[in-house]
Amino acid sequence: MQIRFEDKDGIRICMAEGDIDINTSPQAKKMFDKVLKDKSGKVLINLQKVEYIDSSGLATLVEILKNIKSYGGKLKLSNLSSKVKSLFEITKLEKLFDISDSHDEAVKSF
Amino acid sequence: MNQTAKIDKRIEIPSDIGYIKKVSHELLESLNRFCIDKSVQFDVRLAVEEAVRNAIEHGNNYDKALPVLIRYVIDSKKVTVDIEDKGEGFHLKNVPDPREEGNLLEEGGRGVLLIHKLMDKVAYNKKGNRVRMTKFWRV
Repeated sequence: MQIRFEDKDGIRICMAEGDIDINTSPQAKKMFDKVLKDKSGKVLINLQKVEYIDSSGLATLVEILKNIKSYGGKLKLSNLSSKVKSLFEITKLEKLFDISDSHDEAVKSF
Repeated sequence: MNQTAKIDKRIEIPSDIGYIKKVSHELLESLNRFCIDKSVQFDVRLAVEEAVRNAIEHGNNYDKALPVLIRYVIDSKKVTVDIEDKGEGFHLKNVPDPREEGNLLEEGGRGVLLIHKLMDKVAYNKKGNRVRMTKFWRV
């Protein structure tokens, strides 16, 4: 998997691409740790190009959320496919994460 | 759905996380031969990968000398997947519900829930070291 990131209007925007699963989660965790090293206060992870997430991927996102919350930052997720979104619904992680349908909606909601 | 009659396949892998994809790739190839909907493929892939992972991690405790046995049967109505490890077995009632408020921030423990929600039928043998999962096609 890959993550491209840029800072725009004070928001660290992370564009994730590829599966986040048992094989790629350790790598994803390392990449996000690096991207968030400076404790960005507003973080958006756009999952439009993530077609598959398993329980390891969900665990990685929970870890990232905990990390960001630990320093008082905010994390939003956007552009989840219907299948990926269904996993957040099944596991009730939708209660934990701030999820927007679109990128623009997520940016505006910070 | 095409007219492929039936696929009955057995796979044996060592208890190594690196082999999980081998199982799901083979299964997905077989599901493609039946022209199974991508959304259903997603559910079956995820459930099988989670169950194989549980067998490797919790069943065989990552002991590469111990195999995980997988058998899947696909026909015009459904796929049934059996996954067996060499462990002591587990019992569903001992698995905490990851949806409970106090567990939401836990990093693990969602695999079994996903298996049960994504498949139509899930059953265990008495010992708890073999799971049978079934998904029916809705045509």
